[in-house]
Amino acid sequence: MAKPETDNAEALMSAYLDEELDAEGKSKLEAMLADSPEAQRELSGLQSMLRLVKGLPEEQAPPDFYEKVAKKIRRRRWLRGDYLIALSLPFQIINVLVILAVAVVYMMLHLDNDVAGRKLERDPTVQKAKPPAPQTPAP
Amino acid sequence: MSRVTDPERVYSAEELAAAAPPDEPEPAPAPDETLTLEQRAENARRAEQDRRDRQLVRRLKQGDEAAFRELVHTYQNRIFGLMLRMIGNRQEAEDLAQEVFIIVYRAIGNYRGEGRFYTWLYRVATNTCKNRIKYLKGRNFHRSLDIDETPQAQMPAAETGAVITFQSQVPGPEAVTEGMRMEKIVQRELAALDPDHRLLIVLRDVQGMSYQDIIKITGLQEGTLKSRLHRARLALKERLEPFMR
Repeated sequence: MAKPETDNAEALMSAYLDEELDAEGKSKLEAMLADSPEAQRELSGLQSMLRLVKGLPEEQAPPDFYEKVAKKIRRRRWLRGDYLIALSLPFQIINVLVILAVAVVYMMLHLDNDVAGRKLERDPTVQKAKPPAPQTPAP
Repeated sequence: MSRVTDPERVYSAEELAAAAPPDEPEPAPAPDETLTLEQRAENARRAEQDRRDRQLVRRLKQGDEAAFRELVHTYQNRIFGLMLRMIGNRQEAEDLAQEVFIIVYRAIGNYRGEGRFYTWLYRVATNTCKNRIKYLKGRNFHRSLDIDETPQAQMPAAETGAVITFQSQVPGPEAVTEGMRMEKIVQRELAALDPDHRLLIVLRDVQGMSYQDIIKITGLQEGTLKSRLHRARLALKERLEPFMR
């Protein structure tokens, strides 16, 4: 009795289990199975095993999977010293704010000066408002 | 990939990231007229997925974190499932799947966009997984998945519903218990196989990948792959036979 361990038997069974066997291959396999109860048992066992394996449920990653990955990436960046790059972004923003603040203070201090830096004087045409004279009764 | 081929050495995450393989150009799919309707539909779906992946990778290379999030969400279940079936322990599998995406994030420059992102991701995942198996073997780690660790086991049967295929194979009120017991046995025996055999069974029979994709991922020749897969199936059948009677 032929033992089903030849390359041909193996290829036929694999193709059959993968549903890739054409009509000619199927008749060859049937002939082989008719000749070998051992081959029949082997094929039947493989089919049962595959039913169990293919029946394993599809597993789902935990819902917070991405958050954990992102956290690990951040932590490793930090440990590797990449945090300096991350810190440079707030510093750029702080730099802009400091420059703006200095500009505002400078403008406030020089508000009374003209473009050439001279102190601006009051407009002489503008008279100070005099307090009204006290009303004296008519003699 | 010559830097991570030493079968005895356990590599660090940095070495794995630095040695992430470049992708290779893939042959054009067969002309449409030779394909069935289902194959055409599958090819169209794959082409659309590949186009989307390439866009996301391009954005990721430009530093777009949202693109990375989308890639993780797209593949997290498959990579987690691969790791769980390979390692057999939920916590270890989650940790390992996270490691894969961290390596992808850091080594995305090695992916040139010539092959499918999907197969490149799986190559990274299988290298990382084999490396961890070596490490765990060195530490005598052989905790397999405990059934009580599964989320389904933490919920009443009414909430979980008949989601486990094993349950439907065993009708009656004991279906849930028996189904879960068989699932645990299959997982345990799968995890006891040689890692190369285990990988082929997980890719082909658990995750339902095509031979072409497995060839891309493992680098095996078609004949070698089919022959090795057959031996892997026979080995698993022998281990499961006492439980199938």
